[in-house]
Amino acid sequence: MPENASGLSRRTVLRAGTGVAVAGTIGAGVLSTVAGCGTDSGAGKVSSAADVTLPKTIPYDGPTPDVPGTPEGVPAGFYAYPKPVKAFASPPLSNERITAITNVIGAPPPDRSANPAWQAVEKRLGASVDITSVSSADYETKLNTVIAGGKLPDIMLYDGGGMSDLPAFLAAKCADLTPLLRGDKVKDFPHLAAIPQLVWQTCTQAGKLYLLPIPRNLVGGSGFYNSTLFGQAGVKSTQDIRNADDFLGVLKELTRPKQNRWALGSTNFGTVPFHHIFGSPLNWRLDGGKLVRSYETPEYQAALEFLVKVHKAGCFVPGSEAWTKQQMMDAFHTGKVSMVYDGLPAFAGPTGYYAALPATHKGFQARPFLPFGHDGGKPVTWFDNKAFGWVMLAKADEKRLRTVLKACDFFAAPFGTEEYLLLNYGVEGTDYHLDPHGNPVLTAKGNQDTLVPWKYLSAPTQVVYDPTSKEYVDILHDAYAKLIPTAVADPTETLYSPTNGRKGVALGQFMSDTITSVIAGRKPFSAFTDAVKQWRSKGGDTIRGEYQEALSKQKKH
Amino acid sequence: MRAADVRPKWMEPPTRIGLAAKVLALAAIAVLVLYPFVAVLSTSLSSEAEISRHGGLVLFPTSPTLDAYRVIFAGGVVTSALVRSILITAVGTACSLAATVGMAYGLSRRGVVGGRFFLLVALFTMLFSPGVIPNFLVVKQLGLLDTYAALVLPTLISAFNLVVLRSFFMNLPTELYEAARIDGAGDFRVLLRIVLPLSKSVLAVVALFYAVGYWNAFFNAMLYVNDDKWPLAMVLRQFVLQGQSLNDTVSSSETSVPAQAIQMAVVVVSLVPILVVYPFLQRYFTKGVLTGAVKG
Repeated sequence: MPENASGLSRRTVLRAGTGVAVAGTIGAGVLSTVAGCGTDSGAGKVSSAADVTLPKTIPYDGPTPDVPGTPEGVPAGFYAYPKPVKAFASPPLSNERITAITNVIGAPPPDRSANPAWQAVEKRLGASVDITSVSSADYETKLNTVIAGGKLPDIMLYDGGGMSDLPAFLAAKCADLTPLLRGDKVKDFPHLAAIPQLVWQTCTQAGKLYLLPIPRNLVGGSGFYNSTLFGQAGVKSTQDIRNADDFLGVLKELTRPKQNRWALGSTNFGTVPFHHIFGSPLNWRLDGGKLVRSYETPEYQAALEFLVKVHKAGCFVPGSEAWTKQQMMDAFHTGKVSMVYDGLPAFAGPTGYYAALPATHKGFQARPFLPFGHDGGKPVTWFDNKAFGWVMLAKADEKRLRTVLKACDFFAAPFGTEEYLLLNYGVEGTDYHLDPHGNPVLTAKGNQDTLVPWKYLSAPTQVVYDPTSKEYVDILHDAYAKLIPTAVADPTETLYSPTNGRKGVALGQFMSDTITSVIAGRKPFSAFTDAVKQWRSKGGDTIRGEYQEALSKQKKH
Repeated sequence: MRAADVRPKWMEPPTRIGLAAKVLALAAIAVLVLYPFVAVLSTSLSSEAEISRHGGLVLFPTSPTLDAYRVIFAGGVVTSALVRSILITAVGTACSLAATVGMAYGLSRRGVVGGRFFLLVALFTMLFSPGVIPNFLVVKQLGLLDTYAALVLPTLISAFNLVVLRSFFMNLPTELYEAARIDGAGDFRVLLRIVLPLSKSVLAVVALFYAVGYWNAFFNAMLYVNDDKWPLAMVLRQFVLQGQSLNDTVSSSETSVPAQAIQMAVVVVSLVPILVVYPFLQRYFTKGVLTGAVKG
């Protein structure tokens, strides 16, 4: 699971924050109860991706992109929607009923009876799809109660949180998809087959393929900067900055408290870009066969020392470490801060950084921050956004599983197909109309009808597409093209450690709190080294041992 | 001059300074109370760019717009949720009131077999809650999942309201009960003809408690019913919560934070009904609560 620099992932933060009241009591309790029902639970055992034969990647032979992707995973870019082709000649199912639980972003969509897009999707799929959906903040609670209720829907979103013993739950209640999808077998589901193996790697647990990914573009990036203000400070591209000292000079130049302007200000100090500059690993690093936690590496410590220096120089907005995301965005959009850390997907859309900054402050431009090496060498980035989440399928006989997989394959219809248009834009004429270049433009009704969360039931690999701006496509594609080749993965990504399952959240929070205090100057730097020692004795070393054991099993195969 | 003719100090007309100080103090308190309301309303009428420029809260929108309200009311989801909420609140309050009155009356009479035991059982729920999962399992086994009954039955009787009503009933003069008995009235008749007409104020306050509870309730709806049966509170929660779980800065933050104007408009929409009803019931509110609370 991707984690951020302080050791807390989005999901773990979620568990520790909003979900704590329920997930704490329900998540652990229910899931362990459920897990206990299984025959081969695998609970409490270390596990790894081991010998799973991943589905073979068979690229989708789709329309020619305006900016091509690469085999490494740089997404293709499109300036306009290509002429849509049919992904399925006839409905893949007939008279079936699929049930699902997932999260929904935004308001609930109009009911099926008042939603022509929903009806059209079901007609084209050949099945009625009954979706139980709640907002992501409520999702863990809802999922856990549904699990406790015993009757599981066919498709269940796993957003990464609230499962204290995921392998046990998967073994007890979810379908092992290995026999249906391994190797060439995935050919039966051509759109799932188009998902790269790099993403499929995140779908294994306890040596089996249990999950279907909802793919994303691999890297989350290093945040965003105000290129207008950076330009005034003499920086054309952040990759031109020669080293950390020069960067500190730029940050100081950008900080003008009298004009209510600072270089930096992000929730929890937004430390990720600094780790990229200094080359910290993503969570763990494999060093001569031995696992080293990021906190223990000299790169991480150097990044932290630099952050302390930057804070001392007054480059952070005072108190900004406690900001909400909204406060951070407001500060960036008004020019109060010149650089923030947020994920690359936040660049998109009318409220994304690309469009919102010039809309709030004319003349300002936002760009993805591309890291440079702290000593003139090469920076790193992280493979921290391979998937938004995963779906689990409830245990069933093979025939039923094939039916559900066909539905997932339908939801994963790639960009460029009629099905993709239908799932994302609804019915032509009612929900969208095509502009002269063939791009779908949503109507007011379309905005409502397309709120049905199809994209969280299964999804294709993403492309970079924005019909309103060629520049946006070029900027974002260029960012991916530069970031992905420098990305490093977390070697424990596909491993499972029971101790991490139990204590990971608390340990991560402890480290994160200490790091924030150290940067803010409330604690001396020695507090960090002490915290690392405590982390090791409180469970870090056990987690390392378990991952190490899982790794050695993986090597044997 | 007799001592009785001397007016005490507090009955003298206030001095100008005293008056000014009072006006200032009250005005300051009023501003403190009104400021959040005005800010919420003004922000809901502002554009996103303007809100960003003002750092999140706008007091005087330069170009007011109803866009946020248009977004909320588009598609009819909020309107139908509003109708559902009104029905759930009306039916739920009526059922809760009937059940609470019945139980409180029974428990207020002396000599009811097991009365003390059942009172303790009810009070027990004030101290210990069964938890989400056991509640869910009970609702499921009763076959109430995805029904409106699941939004009312699990919270039918609130122990607090029960105690308030029971205390009130117990403090009615015993002579009234005895007189009614002598006239040949049974318990039902006593309750309907004697007790309830004398308890209007406390009934009003208990009804208000229940109504506010049902109006604001979202958790049961989230757990027990699908989105086509969601009440207004749950639907509005979706508007405010979208992207909330991603409010930490994260690599995969893909949902844009909801427009702040929409969040504020949601607050306004959910406030209005209670705000409309409250002034009319407010006098019962204090009276009823005090009645139950002071006379034990």
